[in-house]
Amino acid sequence: MPTSDLIRLMKEKAEAVQAVVVKIKTMKEAFQYTVDLTRRQGGTSMVAMGLETQDVNLLEKACKTADLTFLKPPLRSHANEIHTALTPVDWGIAETGTLVLDSSSEDVRIATMLSETHVALLPVSKIKPDVTALENEINAVLKADGSSYYAFITGASRTADIERVLTIGVHGPQELHILIMEKNRE
Amino acid sequence: MIKTAQDIKSYKKQLKEALSDQFLRTALDNFNTAYRGNRSAVYEGIDFEGIKKEIAAEKDAALPRLIELFEAFKTHAEAAGVKVHAAKDAKQANEIIAAIAKENNVKKIIKSKSMTAEETFLNDHLENKGYFVTETDLGEWIIQLRKEGPSHMVMPAIHLSRHQVGDLFETVTRKKQDSENIDKLVKVARKELRPAYLEADMGISGANFAIAESGALGLVTNEGNMRLVTTLPKVHVALVGYDKLIPDLKTMLRILKVLPRNATGQAITSYVTWIKGAVECGSAPANRKIMHIVFLDNGRLALAKDPVFSKALRCIRCGACANVCPVYSKVGGHKYGHVYIGAIGLILTLFYHGKENDRAIVRNCINCQACKEICPVDIDLPHLIKKTYRAVLDQDGKTPVKNVILSKVLKNRKLFHFILRNAYLAQKPLAKKKTMIRHLPHFFEKEHGFRSLPVIARTPFRDQWETIRPHAVHPKHTIALFTGCAADFIYPEQAAALLKVLQKYDVQVEFPMDQTCCGLPALMAAEEETAKEVALQNLKAVMSEKYDYILTLCASCASHLKHNYPKIFKDASLTPENLKPFTDKIIDFSSFVVNVLKASSKDFKVTGEKVAYHSPCHLCRGMQVTHEPRKLIEIAGYQYVPSKDEDVCCGFGGSYSIDFPEISAEILKKKLDDVQAADARLLVSDCPGCVLQLGGGMDKRGGEIQVKHITELIAETKI
Repeated sequence: MPTSDLIRLMKEKAEAVQAVVVKIKTMKEAFQYTVDLTRRQGGTSMVAMGLETQDVNLLEKACKTADLTFLKPPLRSHANEIHTALTPVDWGIAETGTLVLDSSSEDVRIATMLSETHVALLPVSKIKPDVTALENEINAVLKADGSSYYAFITGASRTADIERVLTIGVHGPQELHILIMEKNRE
Repeated sequence: MIKTAQDIKSYKKQLKEALSDQFLRTALDNFNTAYRGNRSAVYEGIDFEGIKKEIAAEKDAALPRLIELFEAFKTHAEAAGVKVHAAKDAKQANEIIAAIAKENNVKKIIKSKSMTAEETFLNDHLENKGYFVTETDLGEWIIQLRKEGPSHMVMPAIHLSRHQVGDLFETVTRKKQDSENIDKLVKVARKELRPAYLEADMGISGANFAIAESGALGLVTNEGNMRLVTTLPKVHVALVGYDKLIPDLKTMLRILKVLPRNATGQAITSYVTWIKGAVECGSAPANRKIMHIVFLDNGRLALAKDPVFSKALRCIRCGACANVCPVYSKVGGHKYGHVYIGAIGLILTLFYHGKENDRAIVRNCINCQACKEICPVDIDLPHLIKKTYRAVLDQDGKTPVKNVILSKVLKNRKLFHFILRNAYLAQKPLAKKKTMIRHLPHFFEKEHGFRSLPVIARTPFRDQWETIRPHAVHPKHTIALFTGCAADFIYPEQAAALLKVLQKYDVQVEFPMDQTCCGLPALMAAEEETAKEVALQNLKAVMSEKYDYILTLCASCASHLKHNYPKIFKDASLTPENLKPFTDKIIDFSSFVVNVLKASSKDFKVTGEKVAYHSPCHLCRGMQVTHEPRKLIEIAGYQYVPSKDEDVCCGFGGSYSIDFPEISAEILKKKLDDVQAADARLLVSDCPGCVLQLGGGMDKRGGEIQVKHITELIAETKI
């Protein structure tokens, strides 16, 4: 599948499950988006997991400017305070609009489970057409020695337990934003 | 908490109560219709039939290897820091889990949804031991607060209205709630349950998959609570049935293609999670989760070896068999199962919760085949339900009087037909020279009065045969007519209409005189021996080698002759292969006229009259015939008018409508409402049983729409 079709399908399927999908060009743009979003939602705090040190510093600075608290791991002590969590993800699956995230780190889990809004960074090069294309990658994680916690995330947390009415945001994040990065790094 | 009726009398009383719940019925009826619509959209581009056969084969191949898969799983999981347990029954599983709680000094426990934990009544056990247990799945939390069991495997609180939930949440929060606003109600759960995750020392989950080759669990969820349950507390216990063991990731990914689609009409759920080993956990000593996995046998390992019932272990708990069940949608899950509900529940209850809990509910299958068609792992649920009913009867060592009489009469064709002929005389005073009986004697009327009943014909078709039999001049086809009892003794006019049509096409028709009841009623009553005996009589009577086709007027007879005969004789001298010359020739009227005779509109007058169609269960699902009857209506010069849910059961189900008249009446009511909402003057179907039910119901409600067998409709316009 050509890249442009993969992006289009990924966007279409993710939006069908109420995710917000935005194309961005640079890491700086991603940080600005996340900061603005947090402020717009009335949030006061942010975490980021899985970023490189130089990016963490950049983001921390952006938070400071915007008057947002930048929470640092271990996150367990901040469990009730996380408004926005920003994380890169390992893969995207276009067929279902799914994000794949190795969540073996407890802080990654807490960030992506307890935040109000999850912002995911997905490099274009990591979008696969379907789950079959990732079978070897998943198996490599599951069959490796030691423990792992591996997650597919498709849209925000949802339920239809009351009168079958679809309701977004039960126990997990109430919003999922996917920032599709055209290039890995500028 | 769960009080499942243990005898048919108290069951009927419970059913009556359930039927008076208007909210439940409307909610479930809407669900039934909406579910099927959403589901077909999400399956677009997916070969459902192909994939379900593949999964069934994979599941079947895994069943004899469960112990081997368990050992492999255990090796990998324990190498990653998990303690794996094997529990022989519910009691032992609960005790193992309570012991884990004790050993880790646990006080508070949070749970995500697990049908297996429902099966073992784990919460009761833990609460009795003094632990504070909180369910976190929204639906499970609601029913836990109400002290109820789940009424659906996927949506446990589907029986409740927003107002009932709102009232409940007012009690819990001691705050006024806006019951109209479901979004706000959901947020109440979010807010109330957050502290519970952080305070708990132990999280309990189930699992959808246990992957042997890696020792990882696979979990498929939407709300996100399971992720919190397995992340925040220091201890994680997963309770998993042996049937969840699969060899590899490939198998899981294949099942994952159908599980969410079938369960909720989603291409995938919000979360699919793999957990392998003791992961990092800040609240645990040494920063590692204390992780235990308890595998539950509780009859599964024995079931896996059973040649018939092992198929039930293919179940992946999608809940679809309930979603499409017309009985479930009338009475709800609390009255349609014990812990496991829906068609699969009627089967599993016997094996996991004993005959007492299955005795009454197992009889409540109308055999419409909707569950079989929707099942993503190809379980022949209606067939297994009857097998289960037989097993319950055998375990109880009692045969209902009805079964004794039925067997005695059906096995003896002459006696059976003698009784039918004499029924004409017996009902004469009731019929008062009309063709319908509107009022039954008092002792019947109350529950059975929902439809008028047809009068048994003065002269059955078999006695008219010699005078009305057609004589073909240059026949291209020679067929045997298998009328079925209803067209023979109640509606000979339907068979006569058929002759009229076939004569015009110069078909040589024979009526094998020794044909008798197809045997379906015996199978429905779980009288397999009787079913076998009448089947043999029919095979002998019809002598299929003499005919090109065996044409039936009754969809139920057709699908029984074609699909059940090979099942009845399995393991005996008559293999499906031996029966093929017979079963391959079975055909229904519409398919014969459209596909074999290639009828064209030139053969018919044009009336343009508007005709609605009811698709009989055993035609559309049993015989897989959907296109031909609708096409035939158009060819024959009528205008086919679609109506809602045409392929949903009419509520007849043969003796079902006598055993459960009130449910039958409710199913019929919806069907007739849907038909009347369509702009048609006539309603046709291709099964005398459906015609009996629909015609009787329409007559009783004084409806304007005439109900006919499709043969009668076609005969009218045939030039």
